[in-house]
Amino acid sequence: MTELFLHDWRAWTPRRQVPDETRLDSAAKPVGSSVPAMLRRRLNLVGRAVCDMLPALDPQANRVVLHASRHGDGDRTLELLYTLAEHDPISPARFGLSVHNAIVGVYSIASDSRRSQQAIAASGAEWAALTIEARGYLADGENEVLVVFADQPVPARFADYAPETESAAVALRLGSRPAPGARRLHVTADQTVTAVQPPQPLDVIDWLMSGHTALACPMTHRRWQLDAPV
Amino acid sequence: MTTALEQELKEMIIESLELEDVTPEDIDPEEPLFVEGLGLDSIDALELGLALQKRYGITLESDGEASREHFANLKSLAALVEARRVK
Repeated sequence: MTELFLHDWRAWTPRRQVPDETRLDSAAKPVGSSVPAMLRRRLNLVGRAVCDMLPALDPQANRVVLHASRHGDGDRTLELLYTLAEHDPISPARFGLSVHNAIVGVYSIASDSRRSQQAIAASGAEWAALTIEARGYLADGENEVLVVFADQPVPARFADYAPETESAAVALRLGSRPAPGARRLHVTADQTVTAVQPPQPLDVIDWLMSGHTALACPMTHRRWQLDAPV
Repeated sequence: MTTALEQELKEMIIESLELEDVTPEDIDPEEPLFVEGLGLDSIDALELGLALQKRYGITLESDGEASREHFANLKSLAALVEARRVK
């Protein structure tokens, strides 16, 4: 089976302050400087963060991008639903930015990337879906792929139907071969993984920074562990 | 010299298109609104059409060439509103 190696990563969340960790951005509002202002105005906080992280990991913008979010932009979607309920015409811009591939779409325009992009939602198995998709692209001949996992709090109206979610986004550059400083990513099947909550972006960030714990997905009965750097 | 209607349209453009860092003074009535000049795009054109409909009751025809002329700059937009507004 195609192996996975973590080559590099970036993350954003105002929920963690780690001054020594340069790969983590804790700003309340990410700068989004790689995106021209006229495009940037349409991005939410997660979108600005993603558009900061991807150019840092892939300055030439020639990697495939896999973007997962469990809930997407719940605020914009809910606003559209309220508007429809009032029988008012809906905002084309809000609609355009409410779709699940909106953020990577803006990234592709800003970075002039013509590579494949995939938008994923998996009811809590986003991390597992990302690693499976990444393995597929790597097995198909890609040297490296970019995987992104990002979410924001769901609107209060949906709070009873979704787990509490923090604003966080994480982007990883994965490859199938070791490179200096890369870490091998192990996955193991484990039927006992049932009690934990589905991993959210913030859990992935904590896992990346912790160095030794495992990340577990109850829906797919899998655990992921990172080796020490090569 | 900016007319009252032009000023109103500038504020409508900034608000409806969420132009974060643009002030009414930044919008030159003679400069193109789209691509060059202010730099609006096709989604903005749709959003602007919606704002004109809501605020002035103007429904634009689907003829692209006519819309292009109406949306050329702030002056032509003001002329459209003056000629066709129903509220």
